[in-house]
Amino acid sequence: MAKLIETYACIPSTERGRGILISGNPKTNSFLYCNGRSVIIRYLDRPLDVEVYAEHAYQTTVARFSPNGEWIASADVSGTVRIWGTHNGFVLKNEFRVLSGRIDDLQWSDDGMRIVASGDGKGKSFIRAFMWDSGSNVGEFDGHSRRVLSCAFKPTRPFRIVSCGEDFLVNFYEGPPFKFKQSHRDHSNFVNCVRFSPDGTKFITVSSDKRGLLYDGKTAEKKGELSSEDCHKGSIYAVSWSPDSKQVLTVSADKTAKIWTISENFNGTVAKTLCPGSDGVEDMLVGCLWQNDYVVTVSLGGTIYVYSASDLDKEPMIMCGHMKNVNSLAVLKSSPEIILSSSYDGLIFRWTRGFGYSGKLERKDKNQIKCLAVVDEEIMSSGFDNKIWRIPLSGDQCAEANIVDIGNQPKDLSFALNDRDLALIAIETGVVLLRGTQVLSTVDLGFTVSACVIAPDGTEAIVGGQDGKLHIYSVNGDSLKNEAVLEKHRGEITVIRYSPDVSMFASADANREAVVWDRVTREVKLKNMLYHTARINSLAWSPDNTMVATGSLDTCVIVYEVSKPASSRTTIKGANLGGVYAVAFVDDNTVVSSGEDACIRFWQITPR
Amino acid sequence: MANAASGMAVHDECKLKFLELKAKRTYRYVVFKIEEKQKEVIVEKLGDPTETHEDFAACLPANECRYAVFDYDFVTEENCQKSRIFFIAWSPDTARVRSKMIYASSKDRFKRELDGIQVELQATDPTEMDLEVFKSRAN
Repeated sequence: MAKLIETYACIPSTERGRGILISGNPKTNSFLYCNGRSVIIRYLDRPLDVEVYAEHAYQTTVARFSPNGEWIASADVSGTVRIWGTHNGFVLKNEFRVLSGRIDDLQWSDDGMRIVASGDGKGKSFIRAFMWDSGSNVGEFDGHSRRVLSCAFKPTRPFRIVSCGEDFLVNFYEGPPFKFKQSHRDHSNFVNCVRFSPDGTKFITVSSDKRGLLYDGKTAEKKGELSSEDCHKGSIYAVSWSPDSKQVLTVSADKTAKIWTISENFNGTVAKTLCPGSDGVEDMLVGCLWQNDYVVTVSLGGTIYVYSASDLDKEPMIMCGHMKNVNSLAVLKSSPEIILSSSYDGLIFRWTRGFGYSGKLERKDKNQIKCLAVVDEEIMSSGFDNKIWRIPLSGDQCAEANIVDIGNQPKDLSFALNDRDLALIAIETGVVLLRGTQVLSTVDLGFTVSACVIAPDGTEAIVGGQDGKLHIYSVNGDSLKNEAVLEKHRGEITVIRYSPDVSMFASADANREAVVWDRVTREVKLKNMLYHTARINSLAWSPDNTMVATGSLDTCVIVYEVSKPASSRTTIKGANLGGVYAVAFVDDNTVVSSGEDACIRFWQITPR
Repeated sequence: MANAASGMAVHDECKLKFLELKAKRTYRYVVFKIEEKQKEVIVEKLGDPTETHEDFAACLPANECRYAVFDYDFVTEENCQKSRIFFIAWSPDTARVRSKMIYASSKDRFKRELDGIQVELQATDPTEMDLEVFKSRAN
């Protein structure tokens, strides 16, 4: 049986030039954001506690808790809003097709009965407000001609709705049933966000023209603005009110977050400027939330900074993770256990088990990573060009990388674990032997290679071909001598791994099958490991050589015991939505898996 | 016995052994093979009632097709002891195409000879014949 013990969640997906909207529930200190097709629920006081809702069929854009905290409404790019319960396994209450294009913002009315959603209507309606349980419309919303980026519901009666969008307009609707009342064109660029203060007396709009304007909550008269002294120097992407309605938090593309004090005459002055992060493009701030005592800002790179509102000078808590799929994992043998994960956009993160995110490995060049291998203090990675990067790790950071051009695109890499200088790299029709940064030899094997591995002592190498055959070679210096060809697989070999004690090796193919072989006799030790329903992407041995875990595109991780028949296996279904790309054993009973959903999960395996 | 669509006859012993399994429960499973030379389906192996699913799975060759009948015993949710007779068309992916064709075209005719099959299963690899599959199909 397998039990989930830890999840390192992905971070919000961000887009340059647009803000993102995150929201939360003040009662449970949780906050919500979207990544890919999932909605992630996290807790501000417990960064390791993560829940994922993955029922949308399209990319999700925004999600909000209802005022009573019982329901969450989430919206996606197809214009669908799903309303589901927070507890009890996220049971779906309703699903409505609200707009014909993507939904950019969504808000509940304060009594939890109505929801307003706005976005891109492709020429037809850009905003709709409806009853949460029946979906019936509660008003007509005209007045916008382009995408409506944000909308807000006045929290106190009489109810009003404000919307703002790419046509630079801020529209005000009275109701219910909501009807257009007036429109303001005070901004000179996209109006990115509009929010009512919690007491309902004012609302603020922020825009890409770097200004923020304040209006009266009931009459929608423009009353004041955020002072131009010390104002933002870039587009303001999002705004959030403090719970006491006296201050607002704004985040901007100038990489700062500012807290403004709003006076009674509706003018705002800067109270504090926060500059999380250093000065890269990644640190443009795109989202914010002020909840109870927490001030949360999200950067373009996806890093979430949580400040304490009462003590803004204190260092923020940083929550980070992957934004794109995690395509490889490696476990560094140390204690506490450290995992390195890399995603194809070139980011390598370090995670400490039990604690979470513990740093990003800074690399000088952020090129994409396709394959990654790690051994003790060295990382070897390859991307989509012809180069291999050997990066020694000094302590926590990467030292200067050594780049080797091998002349062909690498398809797979492998270190000889006991002789770290020696590495084997698979290229299109052969392999390259590398010692340090010198190419020892490039051997053309005559068949299309798809996977390779070199034994820890560097004397034997196994190369898998696209035709499913495993070729075993003995390595002498810089040449390979063909020892045997094993034919059992019926699909392209995807991964081959030696067991830690080198007595066995396991291979897996694209036809869902994995096989364990005895290294000396080259006989099949365990077969019929055919329980996956899609291509096997990754394979790992447990440190005590008794178990093999396979991760596949069918989102499952299956753990087999070598001494028992394949049918007595432990299956982890849905380990990573979208497909498992990498799997590794942390210790004899724990497997870590990562995949398309950019999350890394730890599973405790108890053998049956 | 009369000719089938593929011209395969069914040996009398097949029907007799099946009836014994059904009525007197003298076997756990029966494995049938198509003998190409005599052009008929014959009984290849009989399993003792004490044998299990694993023994049965071991009897089916990994590279050749077979037909089999298995008597599966289980306990329902209401704690009733029940049994179901499964007909398994074993047609592994690694078998020769000619073999698969012959077994596939004769299957219907053969099944009609065995009166009393409750569930039919087609297995193309050992995972499709797993105990869990039996459990779910027995419902």
